[in-house]
Amino acid sequence: MVFGAGLAKGLLTVIKHVAREPITVQFPEEEREIPPRARTNLVWFVERCTGCSTCAQACPDGCILVETDPREDGSFLVQRYEIDFRLCMYCGLCAEACPYEAIQVGGSYTNVVTNPNDLYKDKEALIGLANEYLDGHDWIYPNGQPAVRQEVHPAEQRQHH
Amino acid sequence: MGTAPVVIEQDPTIPLLSSETGTDVEDELRNQLMVTNVQKVFSWARRSSLWPAMFGLACCAIEMIATANARYDLARFGAEVFRASPRQADLMIVAGTVTWKMAPPVRRIYLQMSEPKWVISMGSCSNIGGPFAHGYSTLPGVNNVIPVDVYVPGCPPRPESLLAGLMLLQEVIEEEHQNGVKQRPEPSGDFSAMLPESDPIRRELESLFPPYLSVDGAPRDRRTGALPHDQNFFSTRSV
Repeated sequence: MVFGAGLAKGLLTVIKHVAREPITVQFPEEEREIPPRARTNLVWFVERCTGCSTCAQACPDGCILVETDPREDGSFLVQRYEIDFRLCMYCGLCAEACPYEAIQVGGSYTNVVTNPNDLYKDKEALIGLANEYLDGHDWIYPNGQPAVRQEVHPAEQRQHH
Repeated sequence: MGTAPVVIEQDPTIPLLSSETGTDVEDELRNQLMVTNVQKVFSWARRSSLWPAMFGLACCAIEMIATANARYDLARFGAEVFRASPRQADLMIVAGTVTWKMAPPVRRIYLQMSEPKWVISMGSCSNIGGPFAHGYSTLPGVNNVIPVDVYVPGCPPRPESLLAGLMLLQEVIEEEHQNGVKQRPEPSGDFSAMLPESDPIRRELESLFPPYLSVDGAPRDRRTGALPHDQNFFSTRSV
């Protein structure tokens, strides 16, 4: 055993760590890559939704409200679709249950508020959030499928869709 | 005795001129002095050194610890010093489920913090009760007990969400100092809709809201919190 071998070994470790880059992510400027199954906000896409309410039945908190009217051809017109993000525990069971992947996990996670009632999102707010998401992600859904660009105003969409 | 002080009458319509440069004194002063609002300095100092109370209630506390660690580094916002004593803290991060059993201690810790103090409610549980909102044991929102400035949604929120909440709180503090009023609503202290009349937790909680009464209904000293007949070291009154 050479005298100072342990010391050299320790110093080598120190030198290795001095050379590497700091691991701190400078959050507001740069964002860490979010894993695909991270429990971030839900995004609801009105163009994929059929109004079957499977998400509302799957929700353990009961924070999804769906109200539909039947159309003449047997499909549903989604009158109201509201998510209470105050209650939501971001478990993603609604996204798993949805057969059309109309509600998906992968939205923003920085929606902090000073009034908790701002977290209650109605249909217009959810459409706005979804359009915001698609604008920021090159019109690709969180599940990787491409989206069709929509130019219809949300208020008109409510009447025609 | 003595001479009367000489008063030089200055015509207010003529601006004061510096004898050397011949410019407006105000302009000259502006070049040499930084004129600012004291509140602005206070707000800057307070919002960039928020010391949180070391206080976690449930799984959200793990994310709070992750926020303080090297990857997210709460120290970049001057908020790394988690104080073990509420006396030294000015930010309370309510991280986790607040049960009725825990509600009086939460209120007590809040009251023990020195002004100015702010509260971040972190996670769905403390925002409104989360998945336990309709349960018997959980407070439906920590804003029933303490005033909350910023709500961070998530279950639990990512460290980025907490950092975003902290940045929003810094904006709130700046606005607060400009307007001079706190925007957050104070809790009413009325628990009649949630707890039965004889509930010991309700009695304890109501004793922590103004007017601060003791258990037997006697008013406490406003300054020391002592009972009227109490003869302790700090009390100025005698029996």
